[in-house]
Amino acid sequence: MRLVALEEGAETVGLKCGQGLAEARAICPNLTVIEEDTSADRRFLEALGDWCDRYTPLVGLEAPDGLFLDITGCAHLFGGEAAMLEEILTRLTQMGMAVRGAISGSPGLSSALARFDGNRIVEDDEREQVLAPLPVAALRLEEATIQALHKLGLKQVGDLMEAPRAPLARRFGTHLLLRLDQATGADEEAISPRRPVASLSAERRLADPIQAEEDILALTAQVAQALTPRLEARGVGGRVFELVLFRVDGEVFHLKAGASRPLRDPPRIARLFAERLKAVHDDLDAGFGFEILRLNVLQHEAFDTVQGDFDGEGRGQQPLADFIDQVSARLGPDGLQICQLRESHVPERAVVPTSALSAAVPRKLMPEAAPLNGMLPGKERPIRLFAHPEPLETFAVEIPDGPPVRFRWRRLIHTVMRAEGPERLAAEWWVDGETAPTRDYFRLESENGQRFWVYRQGLFDQLASPRWFMHGVFA
Amino acid sequence: MARPALAQETVFALRETIARLEGKALPALAAAEAEHVAEGHAEAHARLATRVAELDQALEGGLPLDGITEIRSLGFRHAGAASGFALALTAHLQRETGNASPFLWISDRMAKAEAGLPYAPGLQAFGLDITRFYHAVPQRLEDALWLAEAALSSGIFAATLLEIHGNPAPFGLTESRRLSLRAKAARRPLLLIRHAGEEEASSALFRFLAEPAPASERRLPDGSMLGGSIGHPVFRLTLEKSRNPAPLCLDLEWNPHDRQFFALPPALSPRRDTVPASQPAARSGALFSAAFDRQGAPASMGSVLAFERAS
Repeated sequence: MRLVALEEGAETVGLKCGQGLAEARAICPNLTVIEEDTSADRRFLEALGDWCDRYTPLVGLEAPDGLFLDITGCAHLFGGEAAMLEEILTRLTQMGMAVRGAISGSPGLSSALARFDGNRIVEDDEREQVLAPLPVAALRLEEATIQALHKLGLKQVGDLMEAPRAPLARRFGTHLLLRLDQATGADEEAISPRRPVASLSAERRLADPIQAEEDILALTAQVAQALTPRLEARGVGGRVFELVLFRVDGEVFHLKAGASRPLRDPPRIARLFAERLKAVHDDLDAGFGFEILRLNVLQHEAFDTVQGDFDGEGRGQQPLADFIDQVSARLGPDGLQICQLRESHVPERAVVPTSALSAAVPRKLMPEAAPLNGMLPGKERPIRLFAHPEPLETFAVEIPDGPPVRFRWRRLIHTVMRAEGPERLAAEWWVDGETAPTRDYFRLESENGQRFWVYRQGLFDQLASPRWFMHGVFA
Repeated sequence: MARPALAQETVFALRETIARLEGKALPALAAAEAEHVAEGHAEAHARLATRVAELDQALEGGLPLDGITEIRSLGFRHAGAASGFALALTAHLQRETGNASPFLWISDRMAKAEAGLPYAPGLQAFGLDITRFYHAVPQRLEDALWLAEAALSSGIFAATLLEIHGNPAPFGLTESRRLSLRAKAARRPLLLIRHAGEEEASSALFRFLAEPAPASERRLPDGSMLGGSIGHPVFRLTLEKSRNPAPLCLDLEWNPHDRQFFALPPALSPRRDTVPASQPAARSGALFSAAFDRQGAPASMGSVLAFERAS
C-alpha cells in the first residue's frame, strides 16, 4: 500500500506521494488513511465538468485531476479573461476544493502552468519564455521518459527547446517532441468535448434560484422564446431538446426530450418538458434551487411551414403528433410503438416494432399506401404472437405431415378437435443458414373452442423426433 | 297558474340531469338526438350498432361510444377470445368511422408475457386497418392508466383498448370512474380487457364475459359448409352487467372479411351447462376441497347491489 495523495500541509511532516504506508505510519502514527477510489474520483471530476458547462459548452477531462475549458469567444461574457479565471477559481475554492488554473493559447501550456507555475494568463508572444524555466514533468510525459531526461541533465523545458530535435526524436520517440510542440503552440491540440455540442442553445441565469416545477416550465418557455428567432433564421425546428439545470450547490441535471416532428413553438417545447419533469419527479431534487437554466437543441431538422387554412382541414395530424410527443416524453422514446410490416415469411420477422416518435416523420414523407407484399391475402395469422415460441408436449402425432391429436401446453392437456395445415415455412437461408429447420404450421382447435397456432420444427424424414412449439393464439 | 308550470319545468330539468348522469335515453333527448342525426351530424349517436338484433337490444342500441365496456376472461387461456372480441368491436368501429381511424392498444406487462403481443399481420387478417395502430406496454399500471386517460381525453383514437391482468388494487372504482368521465367528455370508447379478472364494481356500462367457442366451418361457394375446417371465429359471450336484468348468453360469429357480427342459431351452439368451458379438465378428480381451518366467505344476503372489491 502506498500513498497516492496527501492533504494540505502533510509534506511538512515528511510524508510524500509514493511512500509506503508502513513507512508513513512510522513517521506519523496517528495517520488517517482513506483507500483510493478511482471511479469515485472520476465521477467527481465529471460532475465538476458538468458544473463548468456554465462557462463554455466545450469542457474536456484530463484524468485524473484536470479539466480543460475551451473559452474561445466566451471570456467577454464574464468580463474578460482575468475576471473569468478569478471567478472560476473563487467559486471552486468556495466549494472547498484546492484549485489552480491558467489561461493560455494552448492546452498543453495551460496544463503546465496550472500544475507547475501559478494562476496566470499568458499571452501568445511570451509563451516560450514562460515555458523555459518549468521542469520537464510539466510536458505531460511518461515517468520513464522524465527519468531518462533527468539522467541526461535535461531538467527544464528550456533545455529541450535548445537541444537539436533529430537526436531527441531518435532517443525518446516523436511523442516527446509532440508534447513540446503542443506546449509551445507549434502543434494543434484539440480538446475533445465530453458532451455533444448543441447546435443551438439559450440560457437564463437567475439571481434568485427557483425550485417549483411551474417556475422551471415557465422559464423553459421563456428561454425557448429566445431560441425561436434563431430557429427561424435557419429554417429549422428542433427534434431533440435538452434542458440543463444547474443547481446552486454545483449539481447539474440533464433532461432530454424528443419530438415526433420539428418544433419551434415555445409552449409546445415547454409542454415536452412538463411530461418529462413528471416522469423524473423523484430523481430531480431541487434542493436549494436552480440558478442557471439552459435549453439546448441537440438535433434539428428542416421545418415545413404549413399555412393554416380556414376550413380546418389538414389539422388532423397535429393532435396525434402532440399526443406522441406527450407520451414519449413521459414513458421514454419507446413508450409508444407502431408496427411496420416487412417482407419476410418468417412470422416473427414480418413485423418490426418501431418507436412512434421516430416513425412519425418518415411515414408522412413516404407514399401513403405502401404495398404489403409480405402478407399474401388468405393467409391465416394469429391475433397474438408469443415473443418466444413455447415448447409443447405432443401425444399421438400423425406421421409424417399431420397435426398432434393431443398436446400439453402450460400444464393443461388439450384435445384437438379440428386442424388445418400444414403451412410449410422454410427458414430464410440468407439469414439463418442452410441448415436451419423448416417449420410446419398448423391451426388447431381444442375441444372447448380455443384456437392455437402451433408448429413442428423440422421434418420427420430429417429428425427422429421433431419438437413442437406454440407460437400464437387465434381469436 | 304560473307556479305548477315552473315546478314542472324544474322537475323535468332535474329528470333530464339525472338521465344524463345515468346515461339513459330520455324521450325528449332521444328526439333531439334523432333530429341531430337527421341534420347530418354523424357524431351525434353515441352507440355503435352491432347489427345483431338480440345484442343491440340488450345494449340499448349498441356498443357505447362514450364510455367503458369491459370484456372479462376467466384466464389467460381465454386471452384469444377476449382480445378477439375487443378487436372485432374495434374493426367494426373502424368500418363505421372510416378506414384509417387510429386505435391504441395498451398492454399489461403480464399480459404481454402470458398471452403475447398483438401481431400486426394477424390483426390485418382479422379485419383491422393497421396503418394507424399504436401499441404501448407501460412498465407500471399507473403509467398505463395515465396513458389511457391521455388517449381518451385527446380524442384522437377511434378506440382505446386497455388490457389488464386481474383486479389490481390501484385500478378500482374511483379510477374507472375517472376514465369513464374522460370517455364521456371526449365521446370516445374505452374497451377494457380484464384477463383472469373477478366481477367487480366499476363504471363500465356493460361487462361481457368472453369465452372461446368452436369456430364455424368454412363456407363453400355453393353455400354448403366444408366439414372439419376452421372458419370464422366464434365467441361465447355472457352479458354480465347491463341495465337489462334478463341474462344474455349468445354465440357471436365474427366475419373478418365483411367485418360484421352474426349471431349463431342456438341449435349450433352447445349451451354452457353441457360443456363447462370455465373449468377445463386439468386433471380428473374432484376440485380442491374447501378451506378446513377457517370459514369460507359468507354468502351475501338479499339481493346483490354492488360487488365487493375483488382486489
